[in-house]
Amino acid sequence: MASEKPEARETERVQRATAEAGNSKVTRRTFLKVSAGAAGALALSGVPRIAFAQRRKSVRIIAFAQGFAWPELFGSKGTEKTDALRGLEKEVGADIAIEWGDESAVRQKVLADLISRTGRYDVILLGSDGAVQTYGFGGLLEPLDRWMTRIPSPYVSLKDVYPKYLDANRIEGVLYGLPYYSFGPGVMYRRDIFRKYGLTPPRTTDQFESILKTLKENFKKEKIDMFPVTMRGAPGEEPSLDLLGFVYAYAGYAAWFEGGPTTAEAIRRKKAKPIFTGDFRKGFTAFVETLKNYGSPAASTHTWVDMLTLWEQGKAAVMIPSAINAYPARLGSKIEAVRKESRLASSPVGPSGKRIQSFWTFSLGLNRFSKKKEEAWHVLAYLTGKKAMEEFSSRTKFPWVTMKSVLYTKPLIDTWGREELAVWEDAIVQSDPYYFPYFPELNEFMDKIGTAASRAIAGAKVADVLNDLQTWGYERMYRGGYYR
Amino acid sequence: MAVGVRQRWERATMLAPGLLALAGVTLFPGIYLLYMSVMGWTAFSPVVRFAGVDNFRTLLRSASFWEAAGTTLLFVTLSTGLSLLLGLALALALNEDLRGRGAMRTLLTLPLIVPPVVAGFGWKFLLSSDVGVIGAFLLPLAGIRVAPMGDPQLAMASVVLADIWSKTSFMFLITLAGLQAIPPFLYEAARIDGAGFWAQLRLITLPLLKGVLIIAVILRVLDAINTFDVIFVMTQGGPGTATATFSILGWKIGFTYFDLGQAAALAVLMMVGAVFATNVLIRRTRLAG
Repeated sequence: MASEKPEARETERVQRATAEAGNSKVTRRTFLKVSAGAAGALALSGVPRIAFAQRRKSVRIIAFAQGFAWPELFGSKGTEKTDALRGLEKEVGADIAIEWGDESAVRQKVLADLISRTGRYDVILLGSDGAVQTYGFGGLLEPLDRWMTRIPSPYVSLKDVYPKYLDANRIEGVLYGLPYYSFGPGVMYRRDIFRKYGLTPPRTTDQFESILKTLKENFKKEKIDMFPVTMRGAPGEEPSLDLLGFVYAYAGYAAWFEGGPTTAEAIRRKKAKPIFTGDFRKGFTAFVETLKNYGSPAASTHTWVDMLTLWEQGKAAVMIPSAINAYPARLGSKIEAVRKESRLASSPVGPSGKRIQSFWTFSLGLNRFSKKKEEAWHVLAYLTGKKAMEEFSSRTKFPWVTMKSVLYTKPLIDTWGREELAVWEDAIVQSDPYYFPYFPELNEFMDKIGTAASRAIAGAKVADVLNDLQTWGYERMYRGGYYR
Repeated sequence: MAVGVRQRWERATMLAPGLLALAGVTLFPGIYLLYMSVMGWTAFSPVVRFAGVDNFRTLLRSASFWEAAGTTLLFVTLSTGLSLLLGLALALALNEDLRGRGAMRTLLTLPLIVPPVVAGFGWKFLLSSDVGVIGAFLLPLAGIRVAPMGDPQLAMASVVLADIWSKTSFMFLITLAGLQAIPPFLYEAARIDGAGFWAQLRLITLPLLKGVLIIAVILRVLDAINTFDVIFVMTQGGPGTATATFSILGWKIGFTYFDLGQAAALAVLMMVGAVFATNVLIRRTRLAG
């Protein structure tokens, strides 16, 4: 052994060490064995079973207006767990989580969830200006009538809700949404300015035009930095709610298709063609001309936010027909006259004898693919029920409530007076939610009509715009299979 | 040999999670987009069906597609061209030994950290003819009574202005980096030979900066094609469709018309267009170079 060279011994030592090191490595086989053993032990211990057993159901809501909607449940930041929320969770037997976003983002999330049929959100934001119609026709919403019958909720009674608000959420008679806050048409006007020029609120569209003319002349003469009227004319579906109200008042019916059908089935049966260059034209032109002549030069990009801003800053004398947009300014404007002299009047009657319309409900519905429908139904009923409405009215003081029993309550009577509340109620009762047709492609049409109006307000010829709309409308309905 | 195979297998095993993750975030969305583009997939129909090239055909036959194509081209050209010129001019100015150069460079890069959506809101309220500092006060003081957002041409100019404000910093930074890589002795030699500013710019700066500028232009073009936020918050594509680029149209088709198949088809066409534009730029540069 002594004869062995040191180099050979070193080599042997290195080889031995390497072999030992190799043996000490965790081989794939060992790793799998250990993992399988650990998994088995964990399974046998019952820990996962306990974990699953303890996982309560969770109802997920998605909505906008964070901090403004249901702060009694979710706090002023919209993210709190209040005692009221804990109480409701106990009652429902499920955790309740809400996800907020701006209106546009929420609509996109709802669409993504519904269309992928994942049922991530159980109670979802809708709106009677397209979402109820599109998703209702698509079979993506849970019909609510059966839940009303099967599990009546102590929170909501349909008899108490203004029927028009419910009608706006029905597709061919089936109820798909329950309204939270909602509105009908009206004229908001500055009483001080009207008094100054000897004007009274308009009863007809002719009077309305004459009033705007008087205001414009006087504002010019006296160099008053005010617009006679504010309405919205931004591209997209938003202004359509108001514009279509003009079309209805001028034509006397929802003048979209020949004969005025308002359901998909009727359009299909009658093979009714669009009439955007026909009866639709008068109301469309009146809306566009009113904004061009008496509104802000930037009206072609105005949304409800701009209407509100102009009113708040005392830069408009009339807001029509979505007078609702003046209410936050009436309570919060720094200009005293805006707060004290803004008044609501009924929407004027058009040449047809029908009033200019504007009607919308912030509705909530149940996801057809929800896995906790019963719990979600209870939550939906609570969110749109009487208690939620009472809390809304006493907190915001806005009369946008959906129930008669809540409209004439102390907070609202003290703030607006019975007379104004009667005007507000009359607007709802006299409304026709079907002043535009209910069919699956409604959203696309609303967008095209609103965009066409924006184009015309910005200077394009009404005739050209309506010809384009007519061509597109016919092609779209043909592609939708209505004329086959 | 056997060891080599084993080593390769081990390497592949090690790389697999990373490669799978990469495929998941890049390849899968692309393939899924292609799949969606050939499906009839709308929110108002319970059935998702194979539609072949129907979505592409409908899109290419629609007036709104071609209108949006023209608007996108105009927006991309104006925004890229002007931000390139401005970025280059600023970089040339601040490459000189000026007082306060550092502070000015910092100020110029500030818009880069302002999110485009915030920039859009800022410019919307500045230019508003109802309540904006520029639109309602400064312009009328100068005797100009216009509604920048309410006029089709001015609305395009407004969104381009906001986009330039937001993105020129990027062009400035890239160009400045390129300028600083040019050896100063070239300019010294040129000055000795009697070359003035324009001659130096034409014969030294631009040729040596060409590579950097091409990269900057490619990145900027791709960014401009995809611009959504600034336009959306300022004009929503209006008035009418005056500023409705492909991004706005795609959003509308997907989230307002609820037609996901057609929105995907538009996204595919946008992708093809962007790849085509990039290739043309690269090829032209190679040919020129």
